[in-house]
This record gives sequence, structure tokens and C-alpha cells, in this order.
Amino acid sequence: MRKRIFLPAVLLTALLSGQVTYDRILNAEREPGNWMTYSGGYKGWRYSPLDQINRSNAGQLKVKWVHQMPTTHMVETTPLVADGVMYVSEPPSNVVALDAETGRQFWRYRRELPAKINVCCGQVNRGVAVLGDRLFVGTVDAHLVALDAKTGAVLWDVEVANYQHGYSVTVAPLVVKDKIILGIAGGEYGIRGWLDAYEPATGKRLWRFNTIPGPGEKGHDTWSGDAWKQGGGSTWVTGSYDAAQNLIIWGVGNPSPDWNGDVRPGDNLYSDSAIALDADTGKLKWHFQFVPHDLHDWDAVQVPVLVDAPWQGKMRKLVYWAHRGGFYYVLDRETGKFLTGKPFATQTWAKGLDDSGRPIRLPGIDPSPEGVTIYPGVQGATNWYSPSYNPLTKLFYLAVWENRSIYRKGDQVYTPGNRYIGSVPLIDLPDEPGHGAIRALNPSNGDKVWEYKLHTKPWAGVLTTAGKLLFGGSDEGHYFALDADTGKELWRQYCGGIIRANGISYSSKGKQVMAIAAGNSIFTFALP
Amino acid sequence: MLTRAMLMLIGASAATVLAQDASRPAQFTQADRDAGAKTFRSHCSTCHGMNAEGGRGPNLAQGVFYRGSSDEELLRNISDGITGTEMPGLFYSPDRVWQVVAYLRSLAQRENATGDHARGATLFAAKCAGCHRVAGQGGRLGPDLTQIGSSRSLRHLRAAITNPDADVRERYWRVSATSGDGKPVQGSLLNEDTYTVQFIDDAGNLKSLAKSDLRGYSVAKKSKMPGFAKLPASDLDDLVAYLSSLRRPGGSR
Repeated sequence: MRKRIFLPAVLLTALLSGQVTYDRILNAEREPGNWMTYSGGYKGWRYSPLDQINRSNAGQLKVKWVHQMPTTHMVETTPLVADGVMYVSEPPSNVVALDAETGRQFWRYRRELPAKINVCCGQVNRGVAVLGDRLFVGTVDAHLVALDAKTGAVLWDVEVANYQHGYSVTVAPLVVKDKIILGIAGGEYGIRGWLDAYEPATGKRLWRFNTIPGPGEKGHDTWSGDAWKQGGGSTWVTGSYDAAQNLIIWGVGNPSPDWNGDVRPGDNLYSDSAIALDADTGKLKWHFQFVPHDLHDWDAVQVPVLVDAPWQGKMRKLVYWAHRGGFYYVLDRETGKFLTGKPFATQTWAKGLDDSGRPIRLPGIDPSPEGVTIYPGVQGATNWYSPSYNPLTKLFYLAVWENRSIYRKGDQVYTPGNRYIGSVPLIDLPDEPGHGAIRALNPSNGDKVWEYKLHTKPWAGVLTTAGKLLFGGSDEGHYFALDADTGKELWRQYCGGIIRANGISYSSKGKQVMAIAAGNSIFTFALP
Repeated sequence: MLTRAMLMLIGASAATVLAQDASRPAQFTQADRDAGAKTFRSHCSTCHGMNAEGGRGPNLAQGVFYRGSSDEELLRNISDGITGTEMPGLFYSPDRVWQVVAYLRSLAQRENATGDHARGATLFAAKCAGCHRVAGQGGRLGPDLTQIGSSRSLRHLRAAITNPDADVRERYWRVSATSGDGKPVQGSLLNEDTYTVQFIDDAGNLKSLAKSDLRGYSVAKKSKMPGFAKLPASDLDDLVAYLSSLRRPGGSR
């Protein structure tokens, strides 16, 4: 009830100003009725401080409205909500502004695209960023576009890479202070990856960090010959920001070619790594590589979860990270030093991690012409869909796959704009579809606290709330609420389409709303 | 969304590809075929088989194609994929895709079944049609075989008759359920999620049950079809010849 009085006051101020400032995003927890950046806040928690919907009433949730997208592409978007307007990217690279209360459309931006786009895994888009009265959206033809948040009019449009060489943008940009941070996709096309910063007013590039170091750049000696030129290292999932240290922490994807590493002896930095960059300069402060010389496409494209917590008796700045290869890690956020790690899902490729966090590989795990079968599968024990950290339960939550793949090795020749992968793995064994789960981990040691088993392998992230609820989705099309303490199911709704996205929560007219993309639609839910 | 403008764009791009004869080698060489075979094995074999004999995707080894059979049409389908099917595009440059076309052309020898397909048809009507349907005639417990010759090699057809459990599609996995009041029911799996199962029972009724209401529930990766391992060799040859003759209308070499 206290919130009901408080929220309209905030909304009123916000509507008068009509500006989403950096200060508002930085202090997002002060206005829980909005969802102003990909993960809801810079720490990557995907946590809503709203508690109107809670364990006592979640069972009564009902559909509020549905927005159907005129698209046949897969929908992986995270909507943003600011001051009563929901901003949704629609694949391939369109944007729509909706009334967050009714779902009715204000405007739509439609991007004209070339006929042929090189993307490995669908012409998708994971969301927009907002700053001031501008929106920023990346496109599958590798442009960054600024739109007027009130009308959808294009303010500027810059090419960030050559799409004909396999570069594309699918990531939601991240606003950090006075910069737009943008990652790039194309790790299956032999790109050379980067993380960029752009000026919001003009689209001018302010800095670039090459995730695959060239001659003279630190880490170049982890490559051989010219392999770095097509070394991969994409950055296609939005990272986090540590304001106190002014550090952008972001995950880097696989080295190229994916399943044949013959041309790239060495550790192949900074592929499969967490990188920490100075937000003003783009200079590397630290890195941690999860899988040196990866041969299985186990990108580190997960959202870094930043938490300050006691570690061996002392408060410490930490990063929690459940990586695609099946291990959960705790890193020191000031140095990148490995603190602990253990598997969170079945894995048959490493004996464990050594004192520095480097995997101790088992023999016979490299892809071969005949194929090797190992856990986790090529889509990983988890992937790009978001984990969540809840400060009330102090647990780390994530969606998990239990499956194994056959990894094959084939020849690979690089030609610009063509796939550069070295064969195609079999994701599932013919008679073995695998299964999924939502798991809660004790973040200090990675121990499993509870599990909610799913018949199929989910592509949906998890969201937790101050109502001690976890919201998750499945490939089967169900959106569900679990008790965040126990994993007990409290509510579910069949949405009739695959959920391949992350949920959010916001307030409209003083009432908490849950939103998720399912099938080709945005579904919202509220109490009656 | 496929707008009219986009359709026109796609049309224009297909026309561009068809006009790109400059990239086509004047004559396919053995080197082209070898390079194409390597690309095929690493990128296409998961669905089409290591030797293009078919599997989840159609048999491509017989020189019969249903979505366009000219070299240019093959190039287009391999490059861009086929809309409305599970066929994805390879997205390689035309010179690499021409090598795959060269490889497929080198396979263009139709397998000839040795059996008597008229006699096979009689055998089929007597032994198989209770469960399998061909052109609208027959049962529905097993797969509809109206076009089975288009997508399966002779070897695969033979194995499917003698040992059906060796390769059972998920759609035909066996469901066994026991209701809350103890009544057993069996059938073939249609769909399943975390909470429910959909299947067609052996009497032909569509069932959709909540798992939480069931006393017992299991799914076996087995076929209901009995194995015909003891079938006389000539009967087997005749049946295979008949099944192999069941093809999609159209198709050209």
C-alpha cells in the first residue's frame, strides 16, 4: 500500500521530464515500476523490487493484454518500460512502442533489410536501450540506429560493421553514463569480435575493444599465424556495469572456427572469457577465460551477476557466473581472480577446475570426424537466457539443459561471408531429447538448493521478485511462477508458443504487471 | 513478416542467383565433386545421410528432386533453404555450393529394386495395410507410407521391415498410462510436456491426460510394429520394391 502512494508521484515527475537519465538507470531500484535496461539494473540481477504479486496471490494471475507481432522470426526480446510506455524490439530489427497499460500501439519502426543476411541462428533481436528521449537498436545488417522515443523517427543510423562478412547485431545495447555500449554477433562466420562505445547524440564511435587481439595488443600471442583475423569472439549478450569501479563486465563468445581448432593453436584470448573494461576508455582491466582453446562452441555469453557479499569472512566484490560449459564460477570483481567453481549440470569433459579456474580436460573430448559424444551439448548447460539473483533469498537462479551432443570435426576454409565453423554437431542424439530444469544455487559454493524439472530444454531466462517469486518459461509454451525459496510451483499459464526470452516486471496504474515474449507475442499478466 | 515488398525482394534475389551463371564451373571436375562431398558430409549429412541416402530429409542420391531439379534450382535451394520446410540454407558463396551440386549430380543413379512390386502390393494389403495407410487406404496406427519411396533408401526400407525397433520416430514411441481408477491405456505418442501427454490410443481415440492424474505413466522408445525378420527373402524384396515405388507425384531428374 505504501508503494501505491509512492509510485504515482514518481510517475508524475518522470512524465513531466520525459527523460530516462543515466542517474535513473543507475538507481533503478528507486523506481521499481519501470524496467529501463536489459537486466533491470546494472548488476545483472534480473530482479524486480515489486512485491504486490507474491506467494499468497500468484495463483490468481490472469492475462492482462497480448501484443501479437507481425513476424515469422523467433522472438528473443526483453521489453523495456519507462514512464508508462513499453518499448519492444520485434525481429528481425523493428521496434514498437506500446501503452504499457493496454498494449495499444503508439508507433512502429520498420527497418528495410537486404535480402540476404548472414546470421547463424535466426534474425533475432534481444531488445533496445533507452537514454534521454532516445532509443537505440542494433540491426541484423550490423547498424546501430537511434530513434525518437516519442515517434519512432530515425535520428541517426550508423554502420558498425560489414554485414556481408557475417557481422550482425542481435544484442540489446547497454547505456553506460554518456555512452551506448554495443556488442556484435557472427562467431559462426569468422568475424573478429569487439565491444564498442558510441556517442548517443551522433552515433560517433568513441572506443573499440578488440576481443581478438591483433599484433601489438596484449593476448595476441595466444593465437597462431593469421587465425586472429577470423578469430570470432562475438559479444552478443548484454553485459553488466560496476559503477563504483567504472567497469563494464561483458561475456565473449566462441573462437572461430567453432569445432576445428587446427588453425588456431593457443588459448585464443579473449574468446570464452569474462572481460572487464574501463567504461571511459574501453581499456581492459582484467579478464577470466572459462575455456582456453574452446572446441565446443561454449561461449561465455551469459549475463554477469555482480554481488557484494561476504567471502571467507570479509565483504568482497564478486561476479557470479554459470557458464555454458556446465561450471558455476565465483570471480573477484576487482581482479578477475578465480575464487571457486563447480558443475551445476552434468558434464563429462573436465575432471574439474585447477586453482586458477582453468579446466582440467579429460582425454578424448575433442571433436573428431567420427564424432565424440559428451555432456553438455553444443547449446550448453545454459546459454544466453538470463539468470537471476535475489537479494532476499540470496540465491542464484538459472535455466539448465541436461543433454549431450555428438561433436564432429570437419574441414574448414575461410571465405568472407560464409560459415566458418568446421562441421555441424548433432545437438541431440536421435532417441535422446534430454530435459531441462530451473535450478537454485547457493552462490557462495554452487551447491544446488532446489530444482524444478522440465520435460524439455528451456530457452527462457528467469526473473525473481521481492514477492519471493521466480518466473520462468519453457519451450512447451508455459510461463510459470515458483516459490523462490523452495521451487514449488504456484501458477502457470499456457501461452501456446515457445518462450525464448527473459521476463520483466513493471507497474501500471499502481498495479504490478509481469511481461514475457512467448511465441510471436508479448504476454502480460496481473492480479484481477 | 513476409510483406509483398519482401517477396519481391526475394524474387529478385532468386533471379539474381539464377542469373549468376558466371560462378558456375564450365564442367564439374572430380576435385569439385570431392570438395562438395566434404561439405555435404559435414553440413548436410545429419538430415540427408552420410551418402545422401536420406533420413530425416529426403534421399538425394537418386537424382530425383521435388523442389526443382535444374542445377540452378539446386543451387538456390541449397543456398537459401526451402521455405516452409526444415531445410535451412547453407549460406555459402556460389562457388562452394556448386561443388555440392557437382557431388549430388555424381550420385544421380536411381536404385533399382529387384523385387516384383505388384506382388509386393498384394503382400502389403494382406500384412501391412491394417496399420499403414497408402493413398487414403489402410489403418492409421503406423506411419502413412503414401510417399515413402521419395525419402527412404532401399536399405532403410528393408531394415525398417525386419527390425522396426532400430529406428523409431518419436511420434511412434509407445505410451503406457494407468488412470487414477486403475484403467490401463496404451497408444502412440503425439506430444508431451512437463505436465501433460497427448497420444492416440490403440483404438484410435485422441487422448490428452494430465500426468498428475495418472497412477502410472511411461514412454518406451519402441515400435508397436512386429519385426518381420523371418519373412521369406523374396517377399521382403517384393515389399521393398512396392514401397520404393510409392513416390511423390512430380519430381524430375
